Amino acid sequence: MKTTLPLSLCAAALALAGCGQGDSNNAATAQPDAAQEAAGDKTIAASLDQNGRFVQAAKAVGLDATLAGPGPYTVLVPTDEAFGKVQGALADPANPENRAEITRVLTYHILPGVVLAEDISKAIDNGDGKAILATMGGETLTATKEGDAIVLTDSAGGKAKVAQADVKATNGVVHHVDAVLAPPTGSGDKPAG
Amino acid sequence: MTRFILAAGVAALAITAPAASAPGDDRGKTRAETSKVERAGKARAQRSETRAVRSDTRARRVEARSDRVETRRAGAERRFASVQERRADRADRPRELRAERVREQRADRIRDRVDARERVVEQRLETRGRIAEQRLDVRDRRADRIELRDGRRFKGAAARNEGQLRALAQRDVIPLREWDDLVRGGIWLNGCPPGLAKKPVACMPPGQVKNLIGQPVSVLSSQVALQPLPVRLSALYPDTDDYYYRYGNGYMYQVNRSNDLVSSLLPLFGLGLLTGQPFPTAYSNYYLPTGLQPFYANSPYDCPRYVNGYVYEIDCVTGVIEDVDPLLGYGYGYGQMMPLTYSAYNVPYQYRPLYFDTADSYYRYAPGAIYQVDPTTSLITAVAALLTGGLNVGQPLPMGYSAYNVPYQYRATYYDTPDAWYRYSNGYVYQVDPATMLVTAIVASALT
Repeated sequence: MKTTLPLSLCAAALALAGCGQGDSNNAATAQPDAAQEAAGDKTIAASLDQNGRFVQAAKAVGLDATLAGPGPYTVLVPTDEAFGKVQGALADPANPENRAEITRVLTYHILPGVVLAEDISKAIDNGDGKAILATMGGETLTATKEGDAIVLTDSAGGKAKVAQADVKATNGVVHHVDAVLAPPTGSGDKPAG
Repeated sequence: MTRFILAAGVAALAITAPAASAPGDDRGKTRAETSKVERAGKARAQRSETRAVRSDTRARRVEARSDRVETRRAGAERRFASVQERRADRADRPRELRAERVREQRADRIRDRVDARERVVEQRLETRGRIAEQRLDVRDRRADRIELRDGRRFKGAAARNEGQLRALAQRDVIPLREWDDLVRGGIWLNGCPPGLAKKPVACMPPGQVKNLIGQPVSVLSSQVALQPLPVRLSALYPDTDDYYYRYGNGYMYQVNRSNDLVSSLLPLFGLGLLTGQPFPTAYSNYYLPTGLQPFYANSPYDCPRYVNGYVYEIDCVTGVIEDVDPLLGYGYGYGQMMPLTYSAYNVPYQYRPLYFDTADSYYRYAPGAIYQVDPTTSLITAVAALLTGGLNVGQPLPMGYSAYNVPYQYRATYYDTPDAWYRYSNGYVYQVDPATMLVTAIVASALT
């Protein structure tokens, strides 16, 4: 009896822990206190404007769950005005036929890990004025500086300036940019992997 | 009882007989009569003697009889006593005996019943076995018929296909569009039926591949063209003490190290090939679907090919893969059906504590992403996580990782110094040598 009780308690605790894990499948991973303080208490998905064009587009292709997951990711979020200037698939995210293109565009705006503005800045300095950043879509972006501002350039030469940097979340960081970057359509940059 | 009465009667007779046979009385008589009497007396004395002798003899006989009677009575008493004793014994033990007898009878009945039941079960099993055998025979005969029919059809289709290919070979130029139409129309490529030609498994249908589970690795190598595990995959599935992996025909095979048996299949999107590797010639006819053609220019130098969710940009001359585009945004994604070949749970180890199958949703990995799948409809309900190509210890740091990107909780511990850089990828924090730009170690697992 003495042995079975602690064993059964362990089993119960394990089961509860398992359940907890199941529930938090799409939640950010637990972090130490200091990190938690630095990161805030919201996930990237929760910290973004839910009515904004970026979140609407992410929901249309199932990437909202990704941004609520453990990550971590660095997300470049174009402003709604920037979305307004883009034609094509992004103008009609509700159309299922546009999902593929929207996914490509959005994954071009998501980078692996937590890349703060300071980190990009250092990388630019180390890279003689430019830094190549890998995206989750398998492509790359080029980061440069214009004065103090960080400018990101896509494969077609389109530029986006970081307007609001380092909006921290539990599962990454968000940089708001003033333009939508376009992923390469043909044989562009080689993927990071 | 009767013997007892007889014995008592005999005893009474023995007691009274001697009294009855006592000597005669002394009665008064005359002299004349005396001689007569004397003669008579002599005669009487003789008679009396004779009588006495007789009487003695009789008395002896009576005594002997009495002795016999006594003996008999003693024997009868002994027998009576023993009978009484037995009766007394029997009177003492009747319940026990009866209960024992009842128990024995019951046990006998139960034994009989069990025997009977066993016989019935045996008979039933025999009957079932016979029925099953008959069914198997029927199934075998049916399978034979189907095989024969399929064989005929296959031969017919192969002949038609050969004719078509011969006709095509006589033409100098075949417009791409026409070729695509032919492919769509059912022309066979590389000896594979059209339904399988578009898949990386080519002539290895999923059902057939599944048969390899549980087979020894020697059988696997004889049936599948095994290739070295691509770096991209070996980073995600490193060999462990329990398992090692083999790769070929669009599947990765998990092999149990203890018995060298294939324990599971990991179906892959695309071919799991990397840039710099030769593109397998078997897939050289896998042209881009119409929907993808506008995105990839078909030039004399670039030969894009599409295999199950991946576009491979290949140098037309050397056949080497120049670029691999994960097609989360092209072929597969939210709202689409996960291919049936993804029936096995295949999420990389570091993500398994976070994404495990539940009754509500399954999780499947395909290069570039972990998908959340509805178990009932097989539809992709969300992109649970995005994955990069991954890093591997010993490889050069890929382009695009020049910026520090370590998660918050590891920044205090792993920060860039002149001697070591730290970079995050797919759940791990890697150490990089800034001088050589080689990945030197995995220093932390960020997901556990």
